[in-house]
Amino acid sequence: MNFERMLYDMLSYSAPIILCVLGGNFAHRANVLNIALEGMLLMGAFTSVLFVMLTKNIFLGILGSIIISLLLGLVFSFMSVTKKGNPIIAGLAINLIASSVSAFILKAMSLPNLNVNSIVDVAALKIHIPIIQSVPFLGKVLSGHPFLTYLSFFGIFIMWVIMYRTKFGVYVRVVGENEEAAVSVGIRTNRIKYAAILIGAVCCALAGANMALEKMALFTNNMSAGIGFIAIAAIFCGKGQPVRTSLYAMLFGLMQALAINLNISAGPASGLLNTLPYFMIIMILAVVSAMQLRNNHVRGFKAE
Amino acid sequence: MKMEKIVRQTFNTLLPVLCAFFVGGIIIVCIGENPLTVYGLMLKNTLFEWKGLIKTLHFASPLILTGLAIGITFKANIFNMGVEGQMLGGAFTACVLGFTLQGLPPVVHIGICLLAGVVCGMLLAVIPALLKAYLHVNEMVVTLMLNYAIIEILRVLSQTIYRDPASGYVSTPPVLSSAMMNRLDGTSLTAFFPVTMVVFILMYLVFNKSRLGYEIKSIGRNPEFAEASGMNVAKKIVVMMLISGALSGLAGSGFMLSEKFKYTLDFSGTPGLGWDGMLISLLGGHSPIGILVAAIFYSALKTGSDTIGIFTNVPKEIVGVIQGLLILFLSIRFIDEHTTLFSRLKAKFPSRGKKEATSA
Repeated sequence: MNFERMLYDMLSYSAPIILCVLGGNFAHRANVLNIALEGMLLMGAFTSVLFVMLTKNIFLGILGSIIISLLLGLVFSFMSVTKKGNPIIAGLAINLIASSVSAFILKAMSLPNLNVNSIVDVAALKIHIPIIQSVPFLGKVLSGHPFLTYLSFFGIFIMWVIMYRTKFGVYVRVVGENEEAAVSVGIRTNRIKYAAILIGAVCCALAGANMALEKMALFTNNMSAGIGFIAIAAIFCGKGQPVRTSLYAMLFGLMQALAINLNISAGPASGLLNTLPYFMIIMILAVVSAMQLRNNHVRGFKAE
Repeated sequence: MKMEKIVRQTFNTLLPVLCAFFVGGIIIVCIGENPLTVYGLMLKNTLFEWKGLIKTLHFASPLILTGLAIGITFKANIFNMGVEGQMLGGAFTACVLGFTLQGLPPVVHIGICLLAGVVCGMLLAVIPALLKAYLHVNEMVVTLMLNYAIIEILRVLSQTIYRDPASGYVSTPPVLSSAMMNRLDGTSLTAFFPVTMVVFILMYLVFNKSRLGYEIKSIGRNPEFAEASGMNVAKKIVVMMLISGALSGLAGSGFMLSEKFKYTLDFSGTPGLGWDGMLISLLGGHSPIGILVAAIFYSALKTGSDTIGIFTNVPKEIVGVIQGLLILFLSIRFIDEHTTLFSRLKAKFPSRGKKEATSA
C-alpha cells in the first residue's frame, strides 16, 4: 500500500465531508436538525455538472449549483422554521426529492450519467503549490488538489472566526441554547435559523461541486452515497465545534481512503471493504456517546 | 369537537396530496405532456378495474408491512430509517434458504423462509436499538449507515458466492418451487396477502388495545414524563425496534417468495419499499387503518406508473419526485389548532342543538 497515495486520498475524500460539516455546524448550533445536507450535496453535485454541460463554463456551473442548493435550503427552512413542521421529515423529503429529481432529469435526457470530460479537464484543475510541491513527502500529499479542497481546509478557520468572533456567531449559539432568551433580547430567531440553514446549503453545494465536477467531471445517480449523513455523524461526535467536527470529518475521510486503497490489493471480496467507513462511523459514534454518557449523572432516559 | 378533529385530519391528509400532484403536474407540463392524462393512466387501471385492483392489493402487501414498521417507531419519535436495509436483509435470507433447502413440503419451506427473514430483520434492528437505548446514540444516523453497509454486503454476496452463473446479469438463483407462494385461483394474489392481513390485525390490536400501544404513544409525546411515570423507556425502545425489524423482514421475505423469487440489485426498486413505507406511514398519520388505506393508494400509484412510460414520454421516475413532494408537504400541518376557519363557520351556522338551547 502506498502511504503517500493514501494520505493524499484522505485529504481528497475529507474535503466534501468537511464542507458539509462546516455548513451543518451552524444549523446544529441553532438547534435545527439539518438532515437535508445529503440532498443539498447531491443536488449541488448534479446541478454543478448539469450547468457546466449547458453553459460550458465552470464558474457558472458552480454558481448555478449554489443557487439551486439555496432554493432547496429555503424550502427546507420554510417548512421547518416558518411552518414549524417536523425538520426530520422535511429533510428526508429534500433528500428524496434531490435523488429522484436528478434520476428523473437523467432519464428525461435519456443519458445514463452526466459526463463533462470534454469541457472540464480534471488534471488541469489540480493546483500545484510552488514550493511545497518539491518537498519530498509533503509535496505528494499536500499539493495537487483542486481549488475547493484547499478552500474546505481554509474554511475551517473561516467558520471558526464566524462562529466565535462575530456577532452573528454569538446569535446563532444563543438561539440554539435558549430560544426564548434570544427572543426576549430582540434577536429575530427565525432569521438567524434561516441564515444558519442557508450557510449549510452553500457549503453543501460547494461540496457537491468538489466531489462531482472538480474531481471526476462526472455525475452518476446517488453518487453522494451517504456523505451528508456521515457529516451529520461527525457533527454529533464533535458537538458542532468547527475544529473538532472537522477532525472527525478527516477521520471519516481516512476510512474512505483506507477502503479505496485496500481495495486494490483485496481481490474478489474487495466490495466488502467499502462497508468499512459505515461500520467505523457506527463504532465511533457509540464510543463517543458512551464517553459523553459517563459524565452524565441524570438517572433514566432523557430526550435529546 | 370530535367531528372537527376528523375533518381537520382529513384536510391535512388530502391537501398535501393535492399540492404534491399539482407541483408534479407542473413538472409534467414542462416535459410537454398533459398531467391529467398521465395521472389518469396511473390510477385508472389500478384502482377502478377489478383485475387491476387485485394486482394493486398484491403489491400493497409489502408496503402495508413496511408502513407499519415505520409507523410503530415514528409514533414514539424513534426514527428507524433502516427499514429498507432490514427489508433487504430479510429478503436475501429468505431467498438463500429458498434455493438451498431441498425436499421440504411447501408449507414448511415457506414457513422457514419467512421466519428466517423475520429473524434477520430483527437482528439488523437490534443493533441501533441497543445503541439508542443504552448509549443514547442517534438511531437515525446508525440505521442509515447500516442501510448503506447492508446494500453493499448483499451486492458483494450476490456477485460472488450466491451468483447464478446461468443468468446474464447479477442475480441469485431463483428459489425452488416448493418455496414459491402460488397465485390463488388465477388472480394475482398469493398467500402473502392473507398473511399480511393477519399481521395487520395483530398490529391494529397492538396499536390501539394493548399496553405497549399506550406506552408507545406516551413515549412519543414526552419520553421524560414516560420515564418518570414508571415506564422503562430504554426497554420499550428495544421492543419497538424489534417489532419494526420483524415487520420489515417479513415484508422483504414475503415480497421475495410471492413476486420476485430471486435477489437482483434492483430488488426493491427506486426509491425502495422501505422509503415507500415512510411515505405511507406519514400519509396514514401513523395509525394502522390510515396506513392500510395509504398503502393501497400508493401501491396503485406505483403499479400504475409502470405503464405510463409506454404511453407517454414521462419517465416513471416521476413517482419518486411526487413521493418526495408528498413527504415534504406532509411534514407540516396545513390546518392546525390555530386555524379559526371551523369555529368561524360554526359561528355562522350554529348547529341545531345549540339553536334550540338558545331559543329555549
